[in-house]
Amino acid sequence: MLVNIVIGIAIFGYASFALVKFIKKSKKGKCAACDLQKSCKSECRFPPTK
Amino acid sequence: MEVALIGNPNTGKTSLFNNLTGSYEYVGNWSGVTVEKKVGLFKNNIGRLIDLPGVYTLNPLSKDEGVVTSFFLNDSVDKLLNILDASQLERNLHLTIQLLEYGRPLFIGLNMMDVAENRGIHIDVKMLSALLGVTIVPVVARSGKGCEELIQAIDTPTIEGSGKNLIYYGKEIEEAISMVEKEIHGNTKHSLRWLALQWFEGNQYVNEYLLKIAHREKLESIRHTLEIKIKQQKKGKSLASFIYLKRKEAIGKILDEAVRKSDATTPLTEKVDAIVTNRFLGMPIFLLLMYCMFMLTFDWLGTPLSDGLDHILTGPITDGFEKILSNIGASEFIHALIIHGLVAGVGGVLVFVPQIFILFFFISLLEDSGYMARVALVMDRIMESVGLNGKAFIPMMIGFGCNVPGIMAARTIETPRERLLTILLTPLMSCSARLPVYALFVGGFFIGHKALIVLSLYVLGIVVALILAKVFSSTLLKSEASLFVIELPPYRMPQFQSLWRSTWDKGKGFIRKAGTFIFAGSVFIWLLSYAGPDGLKVNMDKSYLAAIGNSIAPLLKPIGFGTWQAAASLITGFLAKESIISTMNIIYFVPKGESLQGLLAHYYTPLAAYSFMVFILLYIPCLATTATIYKETGSKKWTSFAILYALVIAYILSFVIYQGGRLFGLV
Amino acid sequence: MVSQLKVGEKGKIVDISHVGHLVQRRLLDLGFTEGTEVCVKCVMPFGGPIMIESCGQCIGIRRKEADRIEVERL
Repeated sequence: MLVNIVIGIAIFGYASFALVKFIKKSKKGKCAACDLQKSCKSECRFPPTK
Repeated sequence: MEVALIGNPNTGKTSLFNNLTGSYEYVGNWSGVTVEKKVGLFKNNIGRLIDLPGVYTLNPLSKDEGVVTSFFLNDSVDKLLNILDASQLERNLHLTIQLLEYGRPLFIGLNMMDVAENRGIHIDVKMLSALLGVTIVPVVARSGKGCEELIQAIDTPTIEGSGKNLIYYGKEIEEAISMVEKEIHGNTKHSLRWLALQWFEGNQYVNEYLLKIAHREKLESIRHTLEIKIKQQKKGKSLASFIYLKRKEAIGKILDEAVRKSDATTPLTEKVDAIVTNRFLGMPIFLLLMYCMFMLTFDWLGTPLSDGLDHILTGPITDGFEKILSNIGASEFIHALIIHGLVAGVGGVLVFVPQIFILFFFISLLEDSGYMARVALVMDRIMESVGLNGKAFIPMMIGFGCNVPGIMAARTIETPRERLLTILLTPLMSCSARLPVYALFVGGFFIGHKALIVLSLYVLGIVVALILAKVFSSTLLKSEASLFVIELPPYRMPQFQSLWRSTWDKGKGFIRKAGTFIFAGSVFIWLLSYAGPDGLKVNMDKSYLAAIGNSIAPLLKPIGFGTWQAAASLITGFLAKESIISTMNIIYFVPKGESLQGLLAHYYTPLAAYSFMVFILLYIPCLATTATIYKETGSKKWTSFAILYALVIAYILSFVIYQGGRLFGLV
Repeated sequence: MVSQLKVGEKGKIVDISHVGHLVQRRLLDLGFTEGTEVCVKCVMPFGGPIMIESCGQCIGIRRKEADRIEVERL
């Protein structure tokens, strides 16, 4: 019985963790992994063209 | 220590980055592979290396080039590493001069010396180094030769800003520079001369920066006076082109001393180009290549491999799990969770790994060989007629792998209108995550014509994108301005190692997703199908999942698949397209000895199956794509527009195909 | 005009000032300016783009831009 509870908790625990992490990461889009994220201004500016 | 790696597009920056840092980044053979900066640690830990998008000048035209300028203005960097293409030295040196004006210690890696030698260009490295006053190390970026020397050179301490002004721009400009310098002195840490020159050239980013630290009127009167002087003296030349010509002149002098020319051999590139960009053969060759790719993926190689994996999964692996579970005395709940939930859900997606890898291998091949830019050239005429330009085809091709990098690649498109249009339409390209759905359905319903049916879907995606481009560009996004100038890099023989690495790099994401999101999704989907209002272990038709699916199913009836199962899998597909397959594997539970494909024949007719595939192709960008569209456009309005138009188009097309097909007596 | 050159013919650019502002800047970036020797490599059908080469560097530009680049046949 104990083994069932352990497996159950492990699977559901990991699944919840992975789901939350995935959705958070997806929502951030591509730059989520970038080290320079805080100083990066590139996503909010178009080069002004004449 | 922070070192920025900078150079013209397609000079081998990213290859050099990989060799200097020992990490692996995405390499391609067209201009604009890197659209964001990337950071890596030097192999011997002397500091961090920042890979920037390739630029011709620090005065940007497109958004990826703007990344570089705003990096130079807003971030602090200790040293600059400039990579030069030896065979295109003149053009490359324009950037080098601007970097020298920036005033940070500069080092040069001279790449593609072999290509230059073949073209009869012999460079005296010592002389060039002395003329520029910069340490130059010849490197072979692809193999990593010369990297050790380069790291050593960078690591040796240097005197901050050698201060050597390489170019004298003439009395008028030099005077104006000093006047601007006086205005902004003490307000910035950047080289004043550099700021002044970039501003004279019309750099919009520098303009914004200067307006923050100095008086607009004073600066503008300086520039205005200067412009008038230059116009009078130099027969109407603009200030920017005058500066350009001064630089060109100086570069010419340097090259005269450091470069010797001899006769060249005709490169292989030109012979290949004569065929693939031939007037009449260009387009057929492209379609033939695509057809071969799909035959390999779905017929000749991919499907047999996937079927093999499927047999292993439903046979030995399922049996193994059954044995372990009964040995440890697992309860019925855990047993069902693992066999019906995880093995079916995660395993059902993993069996498509071979096909995904074959597709990625081809995309890598296209990127690495230099063919991509040719495709853009061949496609330009068609793209122009719908209000886009040939360059927009590159993000779309990358979108075949995954829509997210495709949308990022749209940054290389110069005009904002065409860029927005490309971002909106790239999600219609059939990404690799949609591929398992096709593989499953063509295997079940269209056995004789697998590759052809799938090719028809890919082409449908492109055609719909082109039609919509025409519609949008003549209604919502009207503008005449268009810019198409594309650099055509010489062909390169793709190296197996780098091909494999970039295939693996793309495919890795698919496998990782199977272990994380698909795993999680499978667990919860299974739980929803196992539990219902009446408790656990209900008949699946009475489960919560069925209830959710049933609420949408009537809407889907007119397009051929009004079952709760189809509806439920479409909902999960928004999070990630791969989960459509894992959901289907769970809800159409496959008894032993049968296959999902066989089972699906009870639920779909071939016509409904095709309608379903079309719907999957178009119906919605996945969550990550949606988020990227939002990031790149910065507009909630356009993001919701991208989702809504896709839903509408998918519904209309599926309706037409299904109902139209029935009228013609198809089933 | 560049577009009047036949495939394989060479010319020297005399004037690019009539080309659109953006295209002109991009041409300068790529090293195509007054005095540059160019060679037409291929011409796409149906009024499609033209591929021109200079010093081993190939670029593609649209026919209507090519019409505005004045060259002197060599």
